[in-house]
Amino acid sequence: MSNIITILFNGISEGCLIFLMASSLSIILGLMGVVNFAHGTLFLWGAYVFGWIYNLTGSFLLAIVAAIVVGFGLGFLFEKVFISRVYGNVSAQIMVTLGLQIVFTEICRVFWGAQQIVVARPPFLSGNSNIGGVIIIHYRVFLILIGVLVAVGVQLILSRSRIGMVIRAGVQNPNMVDALGINIKRYFTIVFACGAALAGLGGALYAPLNGTLNSTMGASTQLMAFIVVVVGGMGSFVGSAIGSLFLGIMVALIAWLVPSLSLIAPALLMALVLIFKPSGLFGLAVKK
Amino acid sequence: MKKLTGKKVLSTKVILLGILILITLALPLFLGVKNMTVVSRIFVFAVYAMAYDILRGYTGFINLGFALFLGGGAYFVGIMFAQLTSSIPMLLLAILGTVIYCILWALLIGKVAASGGSVLATAMITMAFGEIMRNVMDNARGLSGGSDGLSFKIPKPFSNRIFFYYACFVFMIIMYIILRKFVNSPTGRVLQGVRENEQRAIFLGFNTNRARTIALIVAGVSAGLAGVMYGLLTRFINTDGMAMQMTYNAMLYSLLGGTGTLFGAIIGSSVVIVFQNVLLDLRGVLPIFERWLLFFGLLYIVVIMFMPTGIVGFAKSIIKKRNDKRKMKPKP
Repeated sequence: MSNIITILFNGISEGCLIFLMASSLSIILGLMGVVNFAHGTLFLWGAYVFGWIYNLTGSFLLAIVAAIVVGFGLGFLFEKVFISRVYGNVSAQIMVTLGLQIVFTEICRVFWGAQQIVVARPPFLSGNSNIGGVIIIHYRVFLILIGVLVAVGVQLILSRSRIGMVIRAGVQNPNMVDALGINIKRYFTIVFACGAALAGLGGALYAPLNGTLNSTMGASTQLMAFIVVVVGGMGSFVGSAIGSLFLGIMVALIAWLVPSLSLIAPALLMALVLIFKPSGLFGLAVKK
Repeated sequence: MKKLTGKKVLSTKVILLGILILITLALPLFLGVKNMTVVSRIFVFAVYAMAYDILRGYTGFINLGFALFLGGGAYFVGIMFAQLTSSIPMLLLAILGTVIYCILWALLIGKVAASGGSVLATAMITMAFGEIMRNVMDNARGLSGGSDGLSFKIPKPFSNRIFFYYACFVFMIIMYIILRKFVNSPTGRVLQGVRENEQRAIFLGFNTNRARTIALIVAGVSAGLAGVMYGLLTRFINTDGMAMQMTYNAMLYSLLGGTGTLFGAIIGSSVVIVFQNVLLDLRGVLPIFERWLLFFGLLYIVVIMFMPTGIVGFAKSIIKKRNDKRKMKPKP
């Protein structure tokens, strides 16, 4: 029993981490119709910047802020210089973001080397408690807190603020918003950069959880985020939240029951959802 | 008069092609073993890129799991040679296995593409398929060697580098002719219709899903056969043969050469592989060249943003401009 609770708990915290990636990916997809194949690279940069600053200064907060800022900056650059030139051409978007993924992963390797870098958890989050046989790792509690905070915050921005209103309208029909005199292109840039910042935050939070950094973790996390976007319904923020939790728990359970399937099962799930229920497992995909 | 000039252009083309083929045939006399392997590699990857071009250039289908065909062919050769015996009948068996494997995957992807629809959905799902296959090979460590890979001996006469060079060359020529015939066939015409405007092709009464599935089978089997040759060339296979990077290779080769031209794939693979080898030779001078992928990615972005029609398209536009200028000139 305590095993199952531990696994569920781990699954939920992993889900919260994937959520940071998947939610931004989903909003970008919904608003701009862009699948950002460079999202995992932003995650990777977040993780490396975090590890670098944290090992240098020892300040957890500063390192997190640095990761977010770098994510935002890179996202801004990607959108302004590259992606904005190929709007409306889906295949060119896929190709350009793939190219950015290759280049920036490689730059990361040039800067920080290809070998692993060790990142410790900050002292105030490194412990764990044993509650009735269930081992609770404090850092995972922190992850869940951040995940919930971001989810509530973004949902509030989307549903209450003017920016959120424009974004929601843009997801439904960007041309109409443009015709109403709102510069939708500027919102595209903001949303893309903020999404990139969230991916950077995800990377920063992932680094201490994993303990080490390596340059391939961007690609594997990105695949997970794609799977969540498809399973949760493309373009839906709520869908990505549910999808992240679902996938996090599913992966944790499968890794416990049938470890050899833990990588294949999510990809298989994505394939099945795309074939039989393209609107997402919960039917939340945005219809255009 | 017009007819005459038309014939003349054709004959210069034929002469140029003849010279090119003669040079290629004579190359082993001048090249060392290392460079000969590089050129053989160009031939093999040219077929792989042409296969990708059938999908991307002629049907507008983005397949991000394309490496599963190439890797599949290479794994069939590798596993059969390493685990059973290294002989010619075994090679034939491996080819048969590859063809069946590729047809099955093509049918599955075709089915999914027909139900999923959009370019985006197919891109994502093929990526998922590619990852599934890579993980399967990674997990089947006893059979495939996982990420450490499998090295194997290949039978005579393929073990002779010079013989193999010619074998690759002939393979490329034959595949080019077959694929060219396919593209110009009635099915190929339907495919080009699908790429330009699928709805219209449907309204005209063509079964576009069927045409797309046939294209997938042709492209998949061609890539699988290229994979068999790739296995024979490298005599080694690991999960990198099925990784995303392998799919990116096909995309860059066909993009750089020019999509939808078939011939562009040959130019693209030549340029990229030669460029790659030059850079890797330079790494002794400047260590940054060790990071070959950085330049690979940059080249990729530059091509997409500034040269979307590739080298062939670029050359065609220059020739067209020149001809237009000539026409503009008043006749004396």
